[in-house]
Amino acid sequence: MSIRLQIVDVAWHVNGRPVLSSVSLDIREREVAVVMGRNGAGKSTLLDIVAGLRQPTGGDVRLNDRPAAAWDPRDRARLVAHLPQAVRPDLPFLAGELVLMGRYPHTDRWFESDEDRLAVERAMRRTDCWDLRDRLVQTLSGGERQRVLLAACFAQAPQLLLLDEPSTHLDIDQQLHCFSLLREESARGAACLAVTHDLNLALTYATRLIVLAQGRVALDVPVEEAVRAPDWLALFSPRLSLCTTPSGRPWVSYS
Amino acid sequence: MGVVFVMGHSSHAGRWVAVFAVAFCAAALLLPFVGPFGLDLERVRARQEPDWSILVQLRVSRTLLGLFAGGALSLAGTLFQAMLSDALATPYTLGISAGASLGAVVAIWLGWQQVAGIPAIWVASLAGAAMVLALVVGSALQQRRVSSFSLLLSGLAANSVCSALIIVIYGLVSTTKSFSITRWLIGSVDSVDYSALSGFVAVVVLAAAVVMRQARSWNLMAVDPSWAATRGARVTRLTLSGYGAGSLLTAATVALTGPIGFVGLVVPHLIRTRIGADHRVLMPCAFLGGGVLLAGCDAIGRVVIAPSEIPAGAVMAILGGPYLVWVLRQRSPL
Repeated sequence: MSIRLQIVDVAWHVNGRPVLSSVSLDIREREVAVVMGRNGAGKSTLLDIVAGLRQPTGGDVRLNDRPAAAWDPRDRARLVAHLPQAVRPDLPFLAGELVLMGRYPHTDRWFESDEDRLAVERAMRRTDCWDLRDRLVQTLSGGERQRVLLAACFAQAPQLLLLDEPSTHLDIDQQLHCFSLLREESARGAACLAVTHDLNLALTYATRLIVLAQGRVALDVPVEEAVRAPDWLALFSPRLSLCTTPSGRPWVSYS
Repeated sequence: MGVVFVMGHSSHAGRWVAVFAVAFCAAALLLPFVGPFGLDLERVRARQEPDWSILVQLRVSRTLLGLFAGGALSLAGTLFQAMLSDALATPYTLGISAGASLGAVVAIWLGWQQVAGIPAIWVASLAGAAMVLALVVGSALQQRRVSSFSLLLSGLAANSVCSALIIVIYGLVSTTKSFSITRWLIGSVDSVDYSALSGFVAVVVLAAAVVMRQARSWNLMAVDPSWAATRGARVTRLTLSGYGAGSLLTAATVALTGPIGFVGLVVPHLIRTRIGADHRVLMPCAFLGGGVLLAGCDAIGRVVIAPSEIPAGAVMAILGGPYLVWVLRQRSPL
């Protein structure tokens, strides 16, 4: 199965103020595209538009060469999963029930099948939260909740993952694990579009770097290219520079 | 806590729904025998008066009304809490119940008796509820989406306006009418004739079926409407059918019983904390449990200060309020 996401000239205005103007991206299977940018650059808005949560004021989003709005919601949910920045912390559901909701577009049955339950177990084991399945979401820590939400996305078995800051609240080890899972997903043929603020995670795990500034695409290059010409760091802060670790990896440091 | 993750197994759901269904049927069979006038089983079996008439004409219809009214209000509360992702949402906070009350009070004020053969109070209640719903949803609608925060705010506003108008009307009417308005506003389960009861039960069962059929989608909506949308639910359609069915349940009930608060708040919360939040289990249990609770409170209200009666709504608030606080205190703080 292949996936192609085309964002063509997308604009989003709120009360006449442009948040996004004329953003175009073309994303295909096996990519881990990381969207970065300063606060308010329109990263989450872009993800929301691709997820169908907001109608763009201009331009088109196309999934597999069909306008995204023309997709049947269930067909689309089998293709695209969205990790929200947060859910309300007082949810009355168990962690396992939340992950099980990822199976919603896959079955019409009143109760999920064994196959669905297996997909849930596999997803929760992958993000290290199977032990939390019987816990109420409201009793989980921020990092635990984030792993459960990520598992809910994996249980949906999508071809395109839209992830709004997937590593928030995670400890360093889990951050690395989270991004290596995104690499695994891309290796099986999916595409990932992830928003993050962590430049080093992006340089380590992404295949493609996208930087939004003033509502436009300021940079859209393969990671190797970004390492070769690191001028774009100035878009974030004048105090950043790119150096090389003893093991030869690129590393962003601040002065 | 008795909540265990059973991965959407039907057996878990079936067990709890069966428990509540048994309680519902037991209440329907036993509660008619509770009342200030003790019924003699022998005389009932022989269909002797007045025992037979009291049982059939008064107590059975009253018990059934309590069961289905409690079920309807409790289910509507569960539904609105899921749709608004707000633990305090009930038909009351949305103003729907106040709208229905205002409609009924207007009907009493103007002395309307019947509209097309149906008691005018019912028609006016439904019209009042529909009007408030349209106003509240309309004012909260932005870009074809409903914001739950503005919905709750405009619901509260509608509630205050309707209550104020009821007070104004109360000042305008004669003493006899103000007495019947007061009686109606207290909210109680009374005997109704069987044609009215069967119409009411049909409406409630139909609306409840529409709501419960979508239980899987209410799970998603209870997390967040955008969570539901990105998992393939048709959120706008769901929202409209939810408000429609929820308002119908509320208005039909308020028309027959007057405003009875609290059942829509207390029952869903108790079941959610004890059994879980999966709406496939929660909704049928809330319906059955809410019915048992209201009919039970009505039975208690019939006997404690006999021959006087305490309205079911008052019994519910006196017993349910402290109980709810106690249950919430049992849970670990966030």
